[in-house]
Amino acid sequence: MTIIRVKFRRGDEVKFISHLDLMKVFERAIRRARLPIAYSQGFNPHPGMVFGLPLGVGVTSEAEYGDFEITDDEMSAQEFADRLNLQLPKGVEVLAAKKKASKQNIMATIAASEYIVIVGTPVECNQKTLKVSIDKYLSQKEIVVKKRTKNGVKDTDIRDMIFDLNFELQPCGDFNIIRFTALVSAGSKANLKPDLLIESLCGYLGFEYEIDRIHRTKLFVRSQDQLLDPMEEVV
Amino acid sequence: MSVKLSDALLKSVEKPSRYTGNEWNSVIKDPKSVDIRFAFCFPDSYEVGMSHLGMKILYHLLNDRDDCYCERVFAPWTDMEEKMRQNNIPLYGLESKNPIRDFDFVGFTLQYEMSFTNIINMLDLAGIPLTSDKRSDSDSFVCAGGPCAYNPEPLADIIDFFMMGEGEEIINEVMDAYAKWKGTGRNRQEFLEDIVKIEGIYVPAFYDVSYNEDGTIRSFEPKKPDYPVKIKKRIIKDMDKAYFPEKIIVPYTDIVHDRIMLEVFRGCTRGCRFCQAGFIYRPVREKSHKRLIEIANKLEESSGYEEISLTSLSTSDYTELHELTTGLLDEMEEKKVNLSLPSLRIDSFSLDLMEKAQKVRKSGLTFAPEAGSQRLRDVINKGVTEEDLLNAVSMAFNGGWNGVKLYFMLGLPTETMEDVEGIADLAYKVVNAYKTVPREKKGKFLNVTVSTSSFVPKAFTPFQWEPQDTRENLNEKQMLLKSKIRSKQVTYNYHENRLSLLEAVFARGDRKTCKVLLKAWEMGCKFDSWGEHFKFDVWMKAFEECGVDPYFYATRRRDYEELLPWDHIDIGVSKKYLISESKKALEEKITPNCRVNCGGCGATIFDSGVCGGN
Ligand code: SF4
Repeated sequence: MTIIRVKFRRGDEVKFISHLDLMKVFERAIRRARLPIAYSQGFNPHPGMVFGLPLGVGVTSEAEYGDFEITDDEMSAQEFADRLNLQLPKGVEVLAAKKKASKQNIMATIAASEYIVIVGTPVECNQKTLKVSIDKYLSQKEIVVKKRTKNGVKDTDIRDMIFDLNFELQPCGDFNIIRFTALVSAGSKANLKPDLLIESLCGYLGFEYEIDRIHRTKLFVRSQDQLLDPMEEVV
Repeated sequence: MSVKLSDALLKSVEKPSRYTGNEWNSVIKDPKSVDIRFAFCFPDSYEVGMSHLGMKILYHLLNDRDDCYCERVFAPWTDMEEKMRQNNIPLYGLESKNPIRDFDFVGFTLQYEMSFTNIINMLDLAGIPLTSDKRSDSDSFVCAGGPCAYNPEPLADIIDFFMMGEGEEIINEVMDAYAKWKGTGRNRQEFLEDIVKIEGIYVPAFYDVSYNEDGTIRSFEPKKPDYPVKIKKRIIKDMDKAYFPEKIIVPYTDIVHDRIMLEVFRGCTRGCRFCQAGFIYRPVREKSHKRLIEIANKLEESSGYEEISLTSLSTSDYTELHELTTGLLDEMEEKKVNLSLPSLRIDSFSLDLMEKAQKVRKSGLTFAPEAGSQRLRDVINKGVTEEDLLNAVSMAFNGGWNGVKLYFMLGLPTETMEDVEGIADLAYKVVNAYKTVPREKKGKFLNVTVSTSSFVPKAFTPFQWEPQDTRENLNEKQMLLKSKIRSKQVTYNYHENRLSLLEAVFARGDRKTCKVLLKAWEMGCKFDSWGEHFKFDVWMKAFEECGVDPYFYATRRRDYEELLPWDHIDIGVSKKYLISESKKALEEKITPNCRVNCGGCGATIFDSGVCGGN
């Protein structure tokens, strides 16, 4: 049995489909490509695929990951990727593929994620004052937000989930465009959604705002105490 | 110009991927490279529309023409509609996102009467005048086809022209005529004059209707002598040679039938007297099992679907069923494709088959005896006896099945309370059949579900003259059944019958009912077949305001002599035959199926299928 880890992109064309639907997209593309995917035993056989952290609806990404178990040990990761790419719909594209040595489940090891969030605001601001305010925001001991969970709305402290937060200001007519780059906790233990962070920050700044787009640029897995690119972790 | 769908807008609606397109195998063309743009509209949600096989066939058929770009359009769900109206976004084609009011054709497929208000709503959202008399030379042609087009009259004011019968035959001829007409500078009327010569085309505006004092139709006449007096449906003669796409669109979101649908034949040989499909699709024409396996392979390859289902009116009547199913099971097993088999007649062969087909869970077998007594089953010509049913369920119970669904109709012509009680009796006989099966052979817990729907008399059936049962009667029958079925092993489900009243009106409606549709839509009716949107009281008000009596259409018995709103449509089956079937029904006499004995219905004029040369 061989596992191939794949890094893929999710563009505008497919940003409104759900995570579950995306899995179906891969399943059917694999069938069309006649790739030797392993199937589970039993009444309803499932293809051996595990995906990384689900993206929110409307979010694009250049750093999605999936592990695919194949039955042909001879097949190269490149061939797998090439054949799959021919069968994937517009907007989904395999960027890299590598055979994976460890049995680690990608889902379980995800630790952090980097996003670019582009926000528009009619509020007047400049680089300096904004920097001061954001620093002040980050210097709080606790940042409590209302997080929606399965059991209703819960107060959650997200301060420790924000690893890094940078921004770039681009004035644009009456509007200010702020391009945030945020490195935040991700995964099953602690997961901070970028829109929630922006909501909290803009609330603190007293900014009226509108999110123009969210794009995931990186995803990290934890190995001992290090954050690693999932493609590096596999070797 | 494409419409602007902002992320914020899409994010705010349920299932945005209904509105964004780009699915695998969808066809993208450069609009500038074609002469004809066709909006194929399904007047229901994406999920329902995408499950429809006819749409898939015609979509690819039109797109296989270099001069034509066909796009899909579905009824936006109410949340999306609201956003579109707020933001002045007109109804657009899913492929190009261009407004469909700029297309040459806006075509609707008519699958059920209760989607009619969605047609009006979609035209309104598109910004196309709702009635044909308001459309000018710059407006799209609004056309329609599909099973409900066989009684086109309730939509006569709205649709510019109908295509009668199977679209694969006729649509190319219309497109050719359009390509010739376009750019000649001749007007809208002249195009319709051109195509009315094509067999199967019905242009309602070309006909005058007058009425008798009692509201029945006095005359129906072409306005010019060269318009056809009778419009004859078109059919495909050789199903193996008929167009079939090698690709089908694979949607992103879950749809109702998310699988390859293999249509093994058209029509039905059984002749159940309530079943419109059984008459309008005559004669039965089969595809060969070889062609079907070829199609299945191509579609599996191009779609990656993991399931194939056989679809036809009574699939187990297919003459090459054995070759087809064993062939498919052989080919698909290693590809891990499931075969799902809907409604097979139960015998040892089909049980064995179901055993092999992977997806069939041991709980789900369905039977449709339709009526509770043999007498009434003879009236409707449902060739199933109690013995057949009990044999079949016993066999199934012995094979480990433990769930049976039984479908019935209430309100069939001549039905008595005794017939209704017969439904409960039949359910208990099924329970008894289970009791006689040795314990080690049968499943743990028996579950019999009895479902009843209300009978709706339809055009082109032997019951087209029959009154629909009143709602009071239907309620009483439902209550009776409910009181008779008191067992943990039997569940009784029944449908609310207010919708069936409306179905009955529009299934046999004339041109006067068109006003009601427009009025009901104006008053907020749409998505009527979706319980949460169905507004019965509003409908009743619409009837009142238009001065149209729904009971005139639903619960009135017609004379054989009456001129019916659909009498100018020729489906091949003669009125004489329908009358003789109607009389035989009342005499409780059955008619054998076409393969046993040709009943002489008239469909031989097509010289095809079960009654034709081959
Ligand atoms: S002509 Fe005879 S065989 Fe053909 S459809 Fe009619 S009854 Fe059946």
